[in-house]
Amino acid sequence: MSHARAAGAGRVLKDPALTLSVLVLWVFIGLFILLPMAVLLVGVFSTDGRLTGENILQILSDRNQIAAFRNSLWLAFLVGVFGTLLGFLFAFTACRAGVPRRLTGLMDALVLLPLVSPPFTTAIGMIFSFGPRGLLTYHLLGMKGATVYGLWSTLFSEVLTFFPIAYLALKPMLNAIDSNIERMALSLGAGRFRVFRTVTLPLCAPGLANSFLLLFAASLADFATPLILAGNAFPVLPTEAYLQITGMFDLKGGAVLSFVLLVPSMLVFFLQRFWVSRRFYVTVTGKGAGQTPFDSVSPAVGRLLGSFCAFCALVIFYLYALILFGSLVRALGANHTFTISHFRIIFTEGRKAIRDTLIIAAFSMPLGGLYGVMVGYLTARKKFPGRLSMEIASMINYALPGTIVGIAYLMAFNQPPIELAGTAAIIIALYVFRYGATGIRTTIAMLQQVDKSIEEASESLGASSGRTFRRITMPLITPAFFSGLGVVFIRSMTAISATIFLVSINWTLITVRILENITELSLGPAAAFSVFIVVVVFVVMAAVDAGMRRFKSPGGAQVASVLGG
Amino acid sequence: MNAVEVQVENISKRYTHPVKGEVYAARDVSLRVKPGEFLTLLGPSGCGKTTTLRMIAGFETPDTGSIRIGDADVTRLSANRRNIGFVFQNYALFPHLSVFENVAYGLQVRGMPDAGIRREVGEVLELVGLSGFDRQFPAQMSGGEQQRVALARSIVIKPRVLLFDEPLSNLDAKLRIQMRMEIHQLQRRLSITTIYVTHDQEEAMAVSDRICVMNQGRLVQDGTAEDLYHRPADSFVAQFIGRVNMLDARVTAVHDGKLEVEVLGTRLRLRNPSFRPAPGDPVRLVLRPESLDLERSRDQERSRDQERSRDQERSRDQERSRGSEGPEGRVVSRTFLGEKIEYVVHCGGENLQVVSIDRGGDTHPAEGDRVRLRFYEDTIAVLEGRKR
Repeated sequence: MSHARAAGAGRVLKDPALTLSVLVLWVFIGLFILLPMAVLLVGVFSTDGRLTGENILQILSDRNQIAAFRNSLWLAFLVGVFGTLLGFLFAFTACRAGVPRRLTGLMDALVLLPLVSPPFTTAIGMIFSFGPRGLLTYHLLGMKGATVYGLWSTLFSEVLTFFPIAYLALKPMLNAIDSNIERMALSLGAGRFRVFRTVTLPLCAPGLANSFLLLFAASLADFATPLILAGNAFPVLPTEAYLQITGMFDLKGGAVLSFVLLVPSMLVFFLQRFWVSRRFYVTVTGKGAGQTPFDSVSPAVGRLLGSFCAFCALVIFYLYALILFGSLVRALGANHTFTISHFRIIFTEGRKAIRDTLIIAAFSMPLGGLYGVMVGYLTARKKFPGRLSMEIASMINYALPGTIVGIAYLMAFNQPPIELAGTAAIIIALYVFRYGATGIRTTIAMLQQVDKSIEEASESLGASSGRTFRRITMPLITPAFFSGLGVVFIRSMTAISATIFLVSINWTLITVRILENITELSLGPAAAFSVFIVVVVFVVMAAVDAGMRRFKSPGGAQVASVLGG
Repeated sequence: MNAVEVQVENISKRYTHPVKGEVYAARDVSLRVKPGEFLTLLGPSGCGKTTTLRMIAGFETPDTGSIRIGDADVTRLSANRRNIGFVFQNYALFPHLSVFENVAYGLQVRGMPDAGIRREVGEVLELVGLSGFDRQFPAQMSGGEQQRVALARSIVIKPRVLLFDEPLSNLDAKLRIQMRMEIHQLQRRLSITTIYVTHDQEEAMAVSDRICVMNQGRLVQDGTAEDLYHRPADSFVAQFIGRVNMLDARVTAVHDGKLEVEVLGTRLRLRNPSFRPAPGDPVRLVLRPESLDLERSRDQERSRDQERSRDQERSRDQERSRGSEGPEGRVVSRTFLGEKIEYVVHCGGENLQVVSIDRGGDTHPAEGDRVRLRFYEDTIAVLEGRKR
């Protein structure tokens, strides 16, 4: 070990470009990842300059906060179970139920909607549909004073929002199972259901565990949906932390509350990354079995599954259509005359939010993409001291719930020496170092497909390491760069949990405005803003996709999707 | 172009294995490759041959020892300054560049003007039989064609040394034989000093001037194909190169030119080995399947083939007279392979492989037959025996 380390150190000294990039990256990672975390920890574990655990103990003895903690875990568990179930059903129907390709294509498109819209979009749809003046509850069923708030509506909304994550994780996995294995079981005399139970399902088990953890983490970190739908009866930790800070101006209390979230989040993250992901039976390399798909179910059951998925897709479509409808009528549920006044409002009063959001996204996008490719390349391909620590450190902001990261940034950067509170820079930094991490994963995944010998071939032909990177490596991982761009842009347009703590009079965001609109019950403009975001994201995603296609080298490595990672 | 010599002196490379701890990938390896020579490093997987080659290329740095190419010590020089041509097992073509761009890459790095590049690339593509493929991309080509591109790419830069890392292992059997001939001829024509790594002994014998056998990080034997086959240095080499019967024997007498041993109840007079055994010492005999022959035991033969003329029998005896008579055994299996027949004969507690050339006729022993073995003593090598 010491020997390898010495060799690594020697290499750094020989390659000044590498040394410089590593140092610069460490400075940034230290400043925007490690420093905020350190400040948060110091804040949580100290009172008047003393080291103490009493802040935590205080929370743990508060029955309301304990309830919020329990609610958070219970909600996350339910979302994990139901989201994985729904995601698996969709993936299974798409891969193994003999559903026509055109139908699965349509399902794919609809399922992506929740992934590219702000996290509370389905929540707004829920209010439009099931609220006191909801389309279904009031108008169709004639219910008076229907209440939409509470655990079940929050659960429903979060499952619809997050199950696409499970779907995207499980589908390539099901596709990668060699269907000859299932045919073999069939030929040995097992019935279809037996094949499913004894072969298909066990092979998917690690994927199911993986997607449960992903959804658990997503729900635990979700802040917007509970804020809108959970109501007073069902408090959860992220919203409690937010209210502590914005309602009671108690930054420290918010920090302590959010810190309680940190433990389960980190636990789940490392469980997912270092335990479950190592137990995969089929490695998903994009190299399909290349045979005709296996139909695990009889045509009748296939039709049943297809219909169920179509119904779920229809529900999603209905909620989004409702938002579009709500943005185009005076007041949904009361006055259904057509109007464009909501859009006029967002482009006049809301113009600043739109401008700020777009400017911030435009800066975050290239910086985040570049950061992802650089860290990914260095950690995957170069040997230098502290390589593993860099890889782990770079994931921290991504792994933690946005609430924690946002509060940590607020505590770290609202005082000298680095006073960034109220600027655009703090929001951009947060996006770059939080969502750029997905670019790191994509880059590493792509580099794993590019054999190291290709770079060695360039070296043996006399090219320097810089030239090799420019002419050989970079062209082969360009799709990872574009994918990183896409993710950072989408999140810059849709994120709220972290940045809600960082907006100011000078710089605000569309998502924050939507939230304000909802609390002021001006749902029309909120709907119009949401429609605007979805449209912009779709346009930019199409552009990024085109860019990926344009710059994809023949024979270059594959990248799963713009949402990969 | 003047071919250069490659000298490798006592290089070692160790790494840390998660279970086994410190492991030597290569240990005290020394090689001297003469200018223009074709040398092959041969050995099973994990024997250190690829590590040795990669150190010569500059992809790895040896922990100790030195490497010289021509007059220059290149031990610490990075790969891109060594002016070597490397052909990878997976070809490592640049997937995003066309055939022309792949081959031109090394020349562009060297700053050659475009016109010169076009000329050189055209020439080398013609040399490897790929004229007209310039605009194709690697993914559109067959394995054999990709192999030629890789070859063209590494020779166009006129390297001082050409290095091959199992270049043929991804090709099918027929293409492998064709490509190894082409590589051999090309190397002859260009007379570039060449080091070639393979685990396939037949391939090694077909292409090389000289072969170095490696095992467990060490160089075990260095010699021509004939040396390795007929005079293996130890039982590893004997068993790795070709098929072999290893038999324990005991020295009965030592004459000046010959060694007399007893094996399976038979006395044989063999070539003297490189070491000096004394009477009574145990030795191991390396018997190739073709060092043995067999015939039906006489009594059995008579009872079955009474009608055969005595003339025929006498000519058969003459034909076999070079071999000396050995013990009797029983045919366990018999495989007809066209020009030859392979037998497994059970004799004195051992199963012996015997290959006999089929010269027609239907008098070959069948499975279950009792046979008498014959030894061709000149082809049997002697190794030091196990000390008890």
